[in-house]
Amino acid sequence: MNFDSRKYVVIIFFVLIGLIYSSRLFYMQIIDDSWTLRAQEIAEKRVLITPPRGVVFDRKGKKIVTNRTYYNLMMVEENIKNFDTVSFAKLIGWSPEKVKYRFKEIVRGEGKYHSKITGKTTANYQKIRPYPFVKELTIDEMSVIAPYLENYPGFYEEITSMRSYPFSNAANILGYLSEVNADDIIEDKFYKSGDNIGKAGIEKFYEQELRGRKGVHYIVTSAMNNAIEAYANGKYDTIAKQGPALRLGVDIELQAYGEKLMVNKRGCIVAIEPKSGEILALVSAPSFDPNLFVGNRNITLNYPKLVLDPDKPLYPRPLAAEYPPGSILKLVQSLIGLQEGVITTESGFPCNKSIVGCHNHPMATDLKKAVQYSCNPYYYAVVRKIIHKGRKKKFYEDAEAGLNVWAKYMHSFGLGEKFETDITGLRQGLIPDSKYYDKWYGHLLWAFSTIRSISIGQGEVKVTPLQMANIAAIIANKGWYFTPHFVRAIGGQGSNPLFKKVNKTMVDPIHFEGVQEGMRRVVNEPSGTGSRARIKGITVCGKTGTVQNPQGEDHSVFLCYAPMDNPKIAIACIVENAGWGGSWAAPICKLMIETYLQGKVSDLLKEKSIIDANLLNVKKKKDKNTIH
Amino acid sequence: MAREVSFSKSIDWPLFIVFMLFLCMGIANVYSAAFDPEHPNLLDFSQKYGKQILWVAFSLFLGFLVMLIDASIYRKFAIPIYIFCIILLVIVLFMPSVNGARAWLGIGSMGIQPAEFAKIGTAIALSSYISQINVNQQKMSTVLLANALVVGPMVLILMQPDAGTFVVFTSFLFVMYREGITYDPIILKLINLLPGVNFKSTWVGSHFIPIFFVVIFLSIVTLLMSNNIITFSFLPSVAIPGFAGVIGTLFVLAAISFFILRWISGRRDRNRVTLIVLIGFILTSTISSVVNYGFQGLASHQKDRIELFLGLKEDPDGEDYNRNRAMAAVGSGGWTGKGYQNATVASVQSNHVPESETDFIFCPLAEEWGFLGTMVFMILYMFMLVRIVIIAERQKSKFNRIYAYCCSLILFYHFAINIGMNIGFAPVIGIPLPFFSYGGSSMMSFSVMMFILLRLDSQRNDVLM
Repeated sequence: MNFDSRKYVVIIFFVLIGLIYSSRLFYMQIIDDSWTLRAQEIAEKRVLITPPRGVVFDRKGKKIVTNRTYYNLMMVEENIKNFDTVSFAKLIGWSPEKVKYRFKEIVRGEGKYHSKITGKTTANYQKIRPYPFVKELTIDEMSVIAPYLENYPGFYEEITSMRSYPFSNAANILGYLSEVNADDIIEDKFYKSGDNIGKAGIEKFYEQELRGRKGVHYIVTSAMNNAIEAYANGKYDTIAKQGPALRLGVDIELQAYGEKLMVNKRGCIVAIEPKSGEILALVSAPSFDPNLFVGNRNITLNYPKLVLDPDKPLYPRPLAAEYPPGSILKLVQSLIGLQEGVITTESGFPCNKSIVGCHNHPMATDLKKAVQYSCNPYYYAVVRKIIHKGRKKKFYEDAEAGLNVWAKYMHSFGLGEKFETDITGLRQGLIPDSKYYDKWYGHLLWAFSTIRSISIGQGEVKVTPLQMANIAAIIANKGWYFTPHFVRAIGGQGSNPLFKKVNKTMVDPIHFEGVQEGMRRVVNEPSGTGSRARIKGITVCGKTGTVQNPQGEDHSVFLCYAPMDNPKIAIACIVENAGWGGSWAAPICKLMIETYLQGKVSDLLKEKSIIDANLLNVKKKKDKNTIH
Repeated sequence: MAREVSFSKSIDWPLFIVFMLFLCMGIANVYSAAFDPEHPNLLDFSQKYGKQILWVAFSLFLGFLVMLIDASIYRKFAIPIYIFCIILLVIVLFMPSVNGARAWLGIGSMGIQPAEFAKIGTAIALSSYISQINVNQQKMSTVLLANALVVGPMVLILMQPDAGTFVVFTSFLFVMYREGITYDPIILKLINLLPGVNFKSTWVGSHFIPIFFVVIFLSIVTLLMSNNIITFSFLPSVAIPGFAGVIGTLFVLAAISFFILRWISGRRDRNRVTLIVLIGFILTSTISSVVNYGFQGLASHQKDRIELFLGLKEDPDGEDYNRNRAMAAVGSGGWTGKGYQNATVASVQSNHVPESETDFIFCPLAEEWGFLGTMVFMILYMFMLVRIVIIAERQKSKFNRIYAYCCSLILFYHFAINIGMNIGFAPVIGIPLPFFSYGGSSMMSFSVMMFILLRLDSQRNDVLM
């Protein structure tokens, strides 16, 4: 038998396997991408480098938000040896139970990972990886722990960056950072677990700018998860870029002074630069130190305290508290009346207390005096004329049309509307129109007499302190305003172009002079209600208000701007339960203006008495129904 | 002597050049795979690449010695060489175990693996024995002795245990098949025990080896398919359970081959064809059934192993870790690879693929050089294998021819299993890739094996051989 032909069996066998293997290699290396992805999953790692957040300056260039070094106590489970829970807990100041719980918490917090390539779900936690065990330790805390860390293999310190607020003020403006939650991560791919995100104020509104750009570093990792080298020599890496610096219109010293004045009081101060719409100060009292909200440790510690505080320090009063404006609205009513032609600056109305209550004052024979004396019956008459101007023949239809015209005017003053601006937590207040009253009384079933309390700023009308300050700015500007805003510049660029848009009211500039003169008299004439705001050498124009408060003592309200001929600051101040407008709000405004314009205070005694005053517990209701 | 003068003419240069090329590629590859930036010198002997160069140099020195020795010595001393290898394999069983196997003879890194050299010894002994017998008059004793020569070392190797080398030894069965050593005498003895049966030869007996591999192939296919339910898009109501599908497929194949064979065979062979197809179908179905039901009866961890091997079960981070990582390394190579020394998965430093410088040395090659690189390797390797077969067929001496076949099949086995491991076609049984894997024993044994082949070939015209 000859077996020579069997050599072909062998050769065919070789070639067959060679071809099969080559096709397989072709399939694996060229056609099927999944192995490439699997290789990336195995060996390549994107390391994200989070840049420090952008810093924030005030209008004078003072750094008011900055970054400070903190430490995380890191843990690599695989390296932990002879771990003594009790002594370690003592070192970091925890209970042993909390230490044990923390280990479990880290594992749970890492979640699970579903690989699309292998279709497997695995726990993300790996014993060989570092995880922060204790986060956000200050340098003082770390210096206590650090010397003993060598007794605990597997633990080491790592530097991290967190916010710091050198001035301890303006917490309500700046907001705070907090760790991202699951929704944040789903909403924006930028965030990874453990990142911080602005949760309020400037930090929230300018999150996109402040967070900067993350750097990506591609590295090749080993099976032990150590970085070996840069992937492709760093060809695909990007550099982390810090967010641009923000420059606020806020004057941090004025803000700090305002917060100091409002210590132990409830209320707020809003100061605006009329020419630019930039907010100079936005005090919400009681205020708190923004450093209380640095880091999640502090937040969990301090947040509940502040939330449970009966004086509600976290409530953004200047933005969200909707007060009846009281007499302050009379300024706007005057302007609307003049523009509508129902009154002139020389119009006089008797002070008929039988219609609406008033206090004793000389007869308001013209508009200036009406403003000066804040005569309630006068404005009853004015607003009735505005609303029942005879636009429609039928009485009720006339009321409806008139009220809508009036509401339109009010809207043009920024009232009853939310500003489109960089302030979070704004509320719009309320300017009732015909639809609003139709709901209450029914269509064409109401007239001015039904809604008359709006004429003196009571009743349904609601205005936020920011809107009040804006009224002062509008009057100072004679009829226009820039939307009130915080940020004047982002990095090298200007701010939102929206803030450069002039908002014109429906009242012509010519009508403002009478009102301005009235406001001057409020402060500077002997019988003016706001004489406590008088400043030597600076003409302050103001208007007091007293907001009736069914729950307790009236709120003291004052609105002003100064100097009269070249307005540089417009202020609204509300001190809750402090009585009539001239009593507390006016002198506080005076001190603010002095501080801002002159850098010093003339009456130190008065300043001291205001700072020392505690109005938190004044809630007693007096038998007083008059409105100033 | 005239023979010595014409040495440079008588050596087979194509094979020699490919061999040397592989040695150089191997060193370059180990240098990349095991590269340590702190020891960048190629000749740093504290590193694996430095050591590999030492091994290559020593292997070449051994090869030089082999080329000086007259080739007839292997034939003359076949029995002593074989016995020496067997003794080493026995001694190694008493050595301390390293990584769970008593495979190493010697101290520390200077040890050798006798199993590697036993391949050469067995090849020489087998060549010597088969060249002496008349294959046309085979007896039970000759078949048994030829098999015993192979099975003896296999048993000793399995006791180490070293599954990889054990499997490689089955390559000798192919050599025997080529040389016509059949299992006929055994099978005839058994079949002729039946009353009234008196075969002169059986097809099964003479083609036992190919049949054996067909059986393995069939088993794998059965296991792969029996878990599935076969459905047809054009016949939505029909769902054939996997095993029935296997039997059905076999039946269809049997029917097709029956008609084809009947058509091409003469009238005289018709009955024989019918019988062969019938027996074939019954046998394959039986094997398939045995495999299928045998598998069901296995313990669960054994089942896991087999399922893992067949890729029926994915476990990328568990037992299948190595193979999955290796395949990721190979598959991520693309057309041209990631560049020399740029492997991300398969470098020793990253350690994602364990043993990437020894058993999985193909990974860095495939990852760094891509499909083009692997094709160059495949073509060179195929060339080498076929070249050895050509060399084998031109030998006048039967001993030479058988030895050459042993070489080609051993190299082929290493290639098929090692590369198969890297591309998910073979279980991870840990055998080196000749000339590429880091390691002294395999480098020396393959080199010596090649040099003996070259030496034998250079003396092929010595009539006495």
